[in-house]
Amino acid sequence: MAALWRCGLQRGLRIATALSCGGIRRGLRTSAYLRMVGVDQQPGQYHHTSQTYTAAQESSSSCHSEQHGEKAEGFESEEELRQQLLSAALEFVPHFGWSMEAIAEGAKVLDLSPAVTGMFSHGPGDLVLHFVCQCNKQLSGQLTEQHQQVQTGQQEAKKTDRFVKDAVEARLRMVIPYIDTWPQAMSILLLPQNITESLSSLMNIVDEVWYYAGDRSTDSNWYTKRAILAGIYNSTELVLLQDTSPGYEETWNFLKNRVNDAVNMAQSVKQVGSTGKALFQGFVGAAVTLKNLSGVAQNR
Amino acid sequence: PTEGSAIGYKVASVVEQMWDQEKQHLEKFNELIVDHRVRPTLLMPFWNVAGFVLGAGTALLGKEGAMACTVAVEESISQHYNNQIRMLMEEDPERHKELLAVLKKFRDEEMEHHDTGLAHDAEMAPAYSLLKNIIQAGCKAAIYISERI
Repeated sequence: MAALWRCGLQRGLRIATALSCGGIRRGLRTSAYLRMVGVDQQPGQYHHTSQTYTAAQESSSSCHSEQHGEKAEGFESEEELRQQLLSAALEFVPHFGWSMEAIAEGAKVLDLSPAVTGMFSHGPGDLVLHFVCQCNKQLSGQLTEQHQQVQTGQQEAKKTDRFVKDAVEARLRMVIPYIDTWPQAMSILLLPQNITESLSSLMNIVDEVWYYAGDRSTDSNWYTKRAILAGIYNSTELVLLQDTSPGYEETWNFLKNRVNDAVNMAQSVKQVGSTGKALFQGFVGAAVTLKNLSGVAQNR
Repeated sequence: PTEGSAIGYKVASVVEQMWDQEKQHLEKFNELIVDHRVRPTLLMPFWNVAGFVLGAGTALLGKEGAMACTVAVEESISQHYNNQIRMLMEEDPERHKELLAVLKKFRDEEMEHHDTGLAHDAEMAPAYSLLKNIIQAGCKAAIYISERI
């Protein structure tokens, strides 16, 4: 829950929450707001609504806006340097694992001194978080694109359970190229210095998936749905790590079953709710009838 | 008895009008929450109950009590709206134009409710200033907490 605090949005009464655009530091995306005010936004680009996007904010944020473009001779900012360095380092991860060595190798590719690894205060955590952020951005881009295609009628809207399953599968598939070293990455993400950022990236995934799946709740359902999906995501990730079936079939079946369970549970909760209400009304009606029949407390 | 019920009916219809406007406000903000991809406050179920208890409780003190509660709450909320509007104006009035328009409209409606409350003898409520201060302190606390949780 600490990550929810650090997510940096102004919580609150409807007004305060609606005004979070001024004070977002990181966390849930507000690209929808930008679309609303007509600002052009590249899909998959993390959006910070505040125009004062300072380095201070970046250092506390796990996900930064990517500088698109080819490898420049000189780097425009430290931020761009970090991004390119970490992206280059990813190639060496299968061989060196999620470690400073991989980052050092990436530095060599960019003609930088390996000493540049000193700028990563969280060590390998920075590399893992960079990768996770990239994946999240990619997922976001895919979901936005799908959404647009459905809007323009090029694609049929999927049912909720199928949509959620496909989205989680898409996100997990991004991990597959690094699956041999992923257990190491997961344990790095659980380290105390990285845990807030990794929780916030998990929050980001579940929020994106639910938003594009059509969730528009603003009450405790908002929390329940995201918590359940986070649980499904984590358990599926663990299954993926131990899956040896061809094409990871077992994992996707597991995922489908978990999503169906969750959806069914939600439906039965609703049914229980309405049955409960009907029962209650039945009792009240019976009580009133009895009261009238017995002539107690009559108003004349 | 007939006079009393006539007055009661009139007050009830005033309250109902205010209630309709508040329902519109709530609907609008629920939309805004989704549009801006904002996290709703965790304490919403609690505020639902607390709000009901406050309203029902002050109504038990009579028509003046209900109006006093209205005055107190509307004053708190107008201050809150004004703070929000100020914050947005300081940041970038152009970009937040639509939102600002919504907030200003709602704030004006809340001020109307406030004046309606005063016009219906809110100040004649038992322990008016004590009641008003307690309710306003509660509102401020609720706003503060909800902004964080």
